[in-house]
Amino acid sequence: MNLRIRRLGVVLSVLYLVLFLQLNRIQFFGAERLQDDVNNTRGLIREFGRERGPIITADGVLVARSVEYDGSVDFRREYPEGELYAHITGYQSLNVEAVGLERSYNDELAGDPIDQRFASLGDLFVDRNSTATLTLSIRDDVQRVAAEALGDRKGSVVALDPRTGEIIALWTFPSFDPNPLADPDGTAANAAFDALVADPNTPLLAKSYREIYFPGSTFKLVTAAAGVEAGLIGASTPVFPVATTYEPVPAGAPIRNFAGSACGGDLVELLRVSCNTAFSEIGAEWVGPERMVDVAEAFGFNADLGIDLPGAAESRFPTDYGEQLADVDRYRAAGQQPVEGAETVLPNGAVPVHENSARLAQASIGQNDVAATPLQMALVAAAIANDGVVMTPHVVTELLAFDGSLLDRVEPEPLRVAMSASTAAILRDAMRVVAEEGTARNLLTDGVVVGGKTGTAQLGTTPPNSHAWIVGYAGMPNEQPSLAFAVIVEAQEGASEQTGGRVAAPIAQAVIEAAFP
Amino acid sequence: MTATESPPTHPVSPLLALKPRRVETGLLVMVGAAVAVAYALASFGTTEAIPANLGPFLLWMFGLGAVAHLANRHFASGADPVFLPISLLLNGLGYVVITRLDGSLAALQSTWTAIGIGGYVATLLFVPRVRIIEQYRYLLGIGGLLLLMIPLVPGLGTEINGARIWASVGPINFQPGEFAKLTLAAFFAGYLVDSRELLRSRLELRDLAPIGVAWAGSLGVMVFQRDLGSSLLFFTLFVVVLWVASERWVVLAVGAVLFFGGAFAAWTMFDHVQKRVDIWLDPFADPKGDGFQIVEGSFALADGGLTGTGLGQGEPGRIPFAETDFIFAAIGEELGLAGSSAVLMAFLLLIGSGLRVSLRADRVFEKLFALGLTTLLAVQTFVIVGGVLRVVPLTGITLPFVSYGGSSLVANYVLLALLVRMSHEQRVLIRPAKGTA
Repeated sequence: MNLRIRRLGVVLSVLYLVLFLQLNRIQFFGAERLQDDVNNTRGLIREFGRERGPIITADGVLVARSVEYDGSVDFRREYPEGELYAHITGYQSLNVEAVGLERSYNDELAGDPIDQRFASLGDLFVDRNSTATLTLSIRDDVQRVAAEALGDRKGSVVALDPRTGEIIALWTFPSFDPNPLADPDGTAANAAFDALVADPNTPLLAKSYREIYFPGSTFKLVTAAAGVEAGLIGASTPVFPVATTYEPVPAGAPIRNFAGSACGGDLVELLRVSCNTAFSEIGAEWVGPERMVDVAEAFGFNADLGIDLPGAAESRFPTDYGEQLADVDRYRAAGQQPVEGAETVLPNGAVPVHENSARLAQASIGQNDVAATPLQMALVAAAIANDGVVMTPHVVTELLAFDGSLLDRVEPEPLRVAMSASTAAILRDAMRVVAEEGTARNLLTDGVVVGGKTGTAQLGTTPPNSHAWIVGYAGMPNEQPSLAFAVIVEAQEGASEQTGGRVAAPIAQAVIEAAFP
Repeated sequence: MTATESPPTHPVSPLLALKPRRVETGLLVMVGAAVAVAYALASFGTTEAIPANLGPFLLWMFGLGAVAHLANRHFASGADPVFLPISLLLNGLGYVVITRLDGSLAALQSTWTAIGIGGYVATLLFVPRVRIIEQYRYLLGIGGLLLLMIPLVPGLGTEINGARIWASVGPINFQPGEFAKLTLAAFFAGYLVDSRELLRSRLELRDLAPIGVAWAGSLGVMVFQRDLGSSLLFFTLFVVVLWVASERWVVLAVGAVLFFGGAFAAWTMFDHVQKRVDIWLDPFADPKGDGFQIVEGSFALADGGLTGTGLGQGEPGRIPFAETDFIFAAIGEELGLAGSSAVLMAFLLLIGSGLRVSLRADRVFEKLFALGLTTLLAVQTFVIVGGVLRVVPLTGITLPFVSYGGSSLVANYVLLALLVRMSHEQRVLIRPAKGTA
């Protein structure tokens, strides 16, 4: 019998060896595969329930923090300012992917980067809080004024420091309260999310940097910059004849001035009255496709702006204008018929006609297929204010460790050079005239030098509706401007044919007053 | 005194060469320290505070250990010293994990532990010699069958989670089957003492009839109580003991044929058996439904990795029945491969010690009884751990000493006491009588 008992011992040993091998397979060799399994929500919940660092504005207002939670997870996220910062902080949710800074700075907030976890040798042995605090360039006082000034009109306000790219205010109405989305109760969070997704006003969309609009007349700044950069146009020469209509070549719908008016003159005058006919001609016949595209892209169109918030939209400037046909003068002389043998650049500085020059004429005044984010238009003004250099826009300035020591500082970084400093100076002066004597008079603020350009992007005439724009800069006298801004009030019911000067400029003016107390 | 000791004629644990109770004292101190630290860590992990009841808990734990140890000193002074400490270690670790999973179970489980220790001491006290049990073999056999049938009695039996294995008397629920295991093991051993010689000398078809009876009984448990685990346990117990007693391979062959035949029949006839097998073959086919428990158990084990998340730091609460059927996964999550392997090793040590008792037994009854008890422990552990690890289809039975559950705990302490009793008898026989030196 003892032989059998020993054999039983061997059999049992083998069976337990199988258990041990399988245990190794599950816990060690195959553990990674199991952890990555789509059905495994452990990592997700663990990630969600961790303590994360707070987010604080430049003037010390707490806009996101982790609070201890008594339930399925250890911590949950709270956004004390609710919807005011929703499009900046974003949210961290159990059900849907995080957005905003919660996403772009996820690792730093959670304390994952090696340099945060092991700042010193001692950290190898101590479980120290390694989460980072994000300090924003957003000023709560300015942000709050921007939101109040826009009120319950759909639109966006972007204000930034043109010298550094630091964003001071970034507001879109409508916004949303991120707190319900961060609910550790997945069902409640889902219900809140579904309601926001179903809202026709798309409150979840941070339109200030994620939606593109016709920039309308504000785009004339880009066309002007292209003309000056090409050496074709100065502040006071040439002088364009007064006209009510521009006939595009080779063919296309005539372009008229706002309210059928007539305008002309030098560059400053053209900007002051926002002269459609002259800017169409400058873009289509003087600057031409190649240089228009180059300059628009130098301002940031057709590219990522490098903002530290995820999901930013690219602004758009059309690049395809077809084959070149003939020089404008000979084209016109031949009765708008194609003429063989055109040269690329004509002695008078003008450019040959292209198949789609009519499209370029429209694009040059911010219509046709041109579309820009409010952030992009703020950067157009910022480039002009900053001697032609576009700084990379960002909302985070500093990362602080739990003990308040500095982990990292986001240094200002040039993104592009849009134009020369001299071109920028010409446009700055012209914009100042626009604010003092032109369509942007509502910007004027005591003790501050301001420059601006309005835009009224018409979407239709029955009923008449249009996006109202203002872009501009502000600074202390005899100093480089320290504020650039863009405001858009979207076309909406009940606001028939609003103009940038009347509707958007007062909002920008409120922001300037808040920024320069 | 030791100098006059005659060399043992049977394999003996090296520990037995020392004074067993002194060894046991040392082991118990280590077990006490390990469980106390685990308890404090688990509590610290979940509430970030050293538990306020750490003192009372330690007193209680050490008190129970001391009572069992004193019982050993008085009633089983020569027994193998590894039985009690290892069982208390498994029990203590289980208690830590159970209370960490559900604090409301703490009082109940510690009460059951006390009752278990009580059962242990009582068994040592009332069974001075295991051969007493042999006398009552048929009574115990009938008793076992009656115990098994209690849950089927209307008004007394209760169905919980699909298995009709519970008996309710007032507020107390218990599983009579846990105790039936013990009485049936005694019965099988006693019965085979009688028929062993016959079985060894000739083997005719009718001599295999008892296997058929055991098989039918096991199927009955499965069909009427829907308890696959116990069914498998009873059948394996009988076949193993019969095989060792008869020393005939054909027993294993017939047993295997009957087992697979019965398993196949059950698979074709019962949806719940089919479901169990389907889940076993591919738990990820329905990870949120049928396969949820086993899939979550695997995720928990994977999260544990080599060293575990730390006691109180994991999320074993996500696994359904983590404090009973799936406690092994909970341990694997929080203590890692290191901890889960240690638990397997602890069981192997218990099983090895049990088999050693069987090997060293001089009388056939003790040999077969110890074998049966050890087989119960070994197979039950294999079936539930193998179920959790997807080695075999999952059947809901407890992990001995570790899982939450009063009946199982008390029955296993009685089982332990019987092995300790037999171990002591052998030791006493080896040692020269007192006063001869």
